[in-house]
Amino acid sequence: MSVQEPTYTFDGLPLAGVEPGTNILVTGPALGGIRELTMRMLLRRHSREGTLFIAADVDGRETLSDYEALGGDLDFARVGVVDCTENGTDDDGHNVHAVGSPADLTGAGIEFSSLYERIHQNGAGQVRTGVYTLSPFVVYAPAKSVFRFVHTLTGRIRTADGLGVCAIDPAAVDDQTLSSIAQAFDGKVELREVDGQRAVRVRGLSDQPDDWQPIDFDTA
Amino acid sequence: MRKLTVLCVDADDDERAATRESLLTDDDVAVTTADSVATAADALDGAAVDCVVTAYDFPDGTGLDVAERVRETTPDTPCILFTDASPDRIDTAGREDVVVEYLPRDTPDARAALVRMVGNLVEQRTQVGYPLPTREDERLAALEQYDRPGMEAADAFDRLTALARGHFGVDVAFVGVIDAHEERFLACTGAAWETLSREDSMCTHTILEDDLMIVEDTHEDGRFADNDRLDELDIRAYAGVPLETPRGATIGAFCLTHDEPRSFTDDELADLRRFADEAMDQLELRRQLNECEDEREATQREATEGDDSGGDGS
Repeated sequence: MSVQEPTYTFDGLPLAGVEPGTNILVTGPALGGIRELTMRMLLRRHSREGTLFIAADVDGRETLSDYEALGGDLDFARVGVVDCTENGTDDDGHNVHAVGSPADLTGAGIEFSSLYERIHQNGAGQVRTGVYTLSPFVVYAPAKSVFRFVHTLTGRIRTADGLGVCAIDPAAVDDQTLSSIAQAFDGKVELREVDGQRAVRVRGLSDQPDDWQPIDFDTA
Repeated sequence: MRKLTVLCVDADDDERAATRESLLTDDDVAVTTADSVATAADALDGAAVDCVVTAYDFPDGTGLDVAERVRETTPDTPCILFTDASPDRIDTAGREDVVVEYLPRDTPDARAALVRMVGNLVEQRTQVGYPLPTREDERLAALEQYDRPGMEAADAFDRLTALARGHFGVDVAFVGVIDAHEERFLACTGAAWETLSREDSMCTHTILEDDLMIVEDTHEDGRFADNDRLDELDIRAYAGVPLETPRGATIGAFCLTHDEPRSFTDDELADLRRFADEAMDQLELRRQLNECEDEREATQREATEGDDSGGDGS
């Protein structure tokens, strides 16, 4: 077999690149750097990549400013947000599309499909999709609908050769629900903090480093 | 491959005809049509549908009303909202849980994209409301080998579930197999359940487990707390052991349910595993018996055909 460059790479993170169509579940405590990790995994590597956020914990505007603070390039033809927070508002100038509630999975799915299609049409052959986080959906919507929603997201990402990075705080959902949701993903990136040192470990994805890898985020 | 049936719902005659035409470019697709929410509901009640493609605006409702109807009748069936209505114009109130795919008609080559999307959603089972086992296709192929006429009628399962119900002192004991969209009960003592959609079935989760699944109180488990169907069936506590074939495919479960929260001791669980082993052995014996019979019939057929061709007709 020929050695091919993986399509989606993660500069500055102890993670090897992954193939198109990969969906990754990122788990870790909310205050332990999971937001930075998720955001960094969503940084566009070149102008023909797009990034789409599904924001449920923090609103669209804050999502974009945090992304920019980490070096994310805000090209609004190819970067956009589906804002699922309770008080989210549409902001055409910043490509933010409000759904109104994390309980409205139908609305979130429709805005996601629509935005994905537009980012694609605007010349982004590859799109990174980030969900931050899945927890509000799990809390506010019926379990069956959450499975349906997660399958719809990961299915579209797989078919469109995209990258999916979905964060969830294990403390916010029960273990059984978490392991059932994990079923829809190709692999998992776990983040932990022990004695002030953060580390990540990859499960279920091939050609990744074994065991815990230390990780440091620059304090912005 | 089996032909897929797609239900195409659109109030506009020309648009509906055009969508139908494009779907029919795939030889493996058959199309039925409807022009309103009401006629779509009739079509869903009639024949099995593998995928629904619906417009948004109808005189008697919206495409999401059609989707709601799908979730009530055949919840696994994928729905695609194929419309020129922008997301802002789509009213999801009261329909927050249906979850559909959305394909705008102004997408370049929209109808070709639609044909691809139908194939993908059906093949990948993208809109199911439960976790899917990693090797679901292999699992279903394995089930087919056991799933023969007469499997439901086996007295052995009735005896086993009656024994189990008395032994554990629970409301219901049952043996169920999980097919593509439903759990079917081969035997059920204490209730008259025949089938349950997979998204409502607890065993759908049990087949993901290596050992067994215990839920002491469904109301305290995030996977089941909001499942009204379980309350309707008086299921408050559950213990299930997967039925695993000798080749390692999980085709169903041997289960107990109770109408109030309860725990299960280690001894009880050890016994429950024995019941499950017994049920699986029965299924395996039946499979082997069927296989032998098939072979004998094949041999006989060959012999008869041999006689016919070799005979001189006297």
